[in-house]
Amino acid sequence: MSTFGPDFEDMVNNAPCGYVTLHANGRIAHANPTLLAWSGHAADQIVGERFSDLLTMPGRIYYETHIAPLLRMQGFFNEFAIDLVTAAGEPLHMIANANERRDADGKLLLIRLALIKATDRRRYEQELLAGRKSAIAAERATQKVLLLEHETSELREQFIAVLGHDLRNPLASISAGARLLGRTVQSEKEHQIVAMMQTTVMRMAAMIDNVLDFARGRLGGGITLDYDARGPLEPVLAQVIDELRLASPGRVIESEFAIDRPVNCDRVRIGQLLSNLLGNAVTHGAADKPITVHAETQNGLFELWVANAGEAIPQTVMDKLFEPFFRGKARASKQGLGLGLYIASQIAKAHGGALTVASTPAETRFSFSMPLA
Amino acid sequence: MANVTERNNVHVRGAGDRAMVFAHGFGCDQNMWRFVAPAFERDFRTVLFDHVGAGGSDLSAYDWGKYSTLSGYADDVVEIGAELGLKDCVFVGHSVSSMIGLLAARQAPGMFGKLVLVGPSARYIDDEGYIGGFSAKQIDELLALLDSNHMGWSTQMAPMIMGNPDRPELGQELTNSFCRTDPDIAKAFARVTFTSDNRKDLAQVSVPVLVLQCKEDIIASQEVGAFVARNIPDGRMIVLNATGHCPNLSAPDQVIAAMRAFVS
Repeated sequence: MSTFGPDFEDMVNNAPCGYVTLHANGRIAHANPTLLAWSGHAADQIVGERFSDLLTMPGRIYYETHIAPLLRMQGFFNEFAIDLVTAAGEPLHMIANANERRDADGKLLLIRLALIKATDRRRYEQELLAGRKSAIAAERATQKVLLLEHETSELREQFIAVLGHDLRNPLASISAGARLLGRTVQSEKEHQIVAMMQTTVMRMAAMIDNVLDFARGRLGGGITLDYDARGPLEPVLAQVIDELRLASPGRVIESEFAIDRPVNCDRVRIGQLLSNLLGNAVTHGAADKPITVHAETQNGLFELWVANAGEAIPQTVMDKLFEPFFRGKARASKQGLGLGLYIASQIAKAHGGALTVASTPAETRFSFSMPLA
Repeated sequence: MANVTERNNVHVRGAGDRAMVFAHGFGCDQNMWRFVAPAFERDFRTVLFDHVGAGGSDLSAYDWGKYSTLSGYADDVVEIGAELGLKDCVFVGHSVSSMIGLLAARQAPGMFGKLVLVGPSARYIDDEGYIGGFSAKQIDELLALLDSNHMGWSTQMAPMIMGNPDRPELGQELTNSFCRTDPDIAKAFARVTFTSDNRKDLAQVSVPVLVLQCKEDIIASQEVGAFVARNIPDGRMIVLNATGHCPNLSAPDQVIAAMRAFVS
């Protein structure tokens, strides 16, 4: 002490941490006033006592099984948690460092301990531990739900895909049968019935196409495109319009084409897009007003729009038009799956283009636009 | 089966016809024997190992079911003995490994000729007519403390030895290698250690047994050690002039002397 003078002695006695020295047998040799004050023990009560007797019972076990052996092996042990019991019987949470003083032969002479109060730190640690535990539990629960959800949705989408696929074959038979019948029927009435059958077959085929596309998109395949700029697009569009005319007797569908350069697109898909837009116009448009199809290449864009008259689409509905399974008001017999506009918009996106809608009491117009280059 | 030598971090040293197997207790690893085992290397083949979950053992071999009882650990001791072809060897077990040794000796007759039990307890929790030293509540509190103690706090064990200026003989290669334990495994080991009851196993020990007991040991008191020695047919106890639970560290010379007299 004398080397450091009275200030250092004051420091040892009144340090903001507890100092304790132990004899080789683990009994207390000295404790500074800070530790005495914290623990509530008088010096003569604890000097000569076993240090471990000042600890809580689990603290004693930990001291004897972990701290003491490590201290002996390493000569020091840092940052261990240790709980003293105060004279009043209250636990005193501390964190401590310890080291040994040895003679030249390595014989243990003294153990030095420095202890600081760690009440808040312990509380913080407990909260962290509890937080970690609940985070792990929550994560496990979430994983379980996710897994189940994933399995369920995969099953559901596989089911849709298989169903769509299996529906096509019988539909093809019906279509072939109707075609055969169409050649031989005599009366006007019979012709009407056969035409109606073909219309229905076409509507159903379109629905199945959409269902398959939807399922494929959800299963991760997305809508795949088969780009081809060489073939002409106009005949494909014209054929779609003819089919719809045939299937919707009494409806007027006008078309205007101004395609004067090649359009690098998947023609079958663009045909499907137009078919979906036209089907939508037939279902929701005013029956006594013409539907207009317009296609042109202009300003580096290919634009295709379908317009119909009829009630304006309410603003609340506009936002949901392109969502899957959204169905507007329609007669039950005309009701589709609500996939047509969704698939059309997906086809538009796949082409790097966009499908938009504008609706006024005078006209509702769905416009597809994609860059030519 | 996994390679036993790697699984239990087995180290064989020394010369001699007989082997001496050292088993560490709860709280540390084979380093516990570093002041004792070398003294026997001249006359014995010394076998040191870590229980699975401790020290340099293969943590991936830890089986929560198997190691929920001491017999799971005893199986490992027998496997190590079989692997090394041990016969009539000396088993030295510290703390909970005392009871692991008893179980192993019964399981593999002829493998262990003598047992040295350092600080043994046949049951830590008090029972009717039996004082083990702890109440069940205190053991529960211990398990809670293990949760919060820094030693087992981080998922990645923090380096515990940053260099060792005082003890250069321990060598750099041992840095960070003392008493490493996965926190969850440490807790499970504490549970199986402190909730075991092996009192009935004592009478079935057929080989000579030496109990080494510290004068003052709050983990395993003299009464507890005496109970073990008294209930083993060929048991005796030596009380060392030492304190604490680890005379192998705090009084290695006395431990060595007592063992020598017993095994020679």
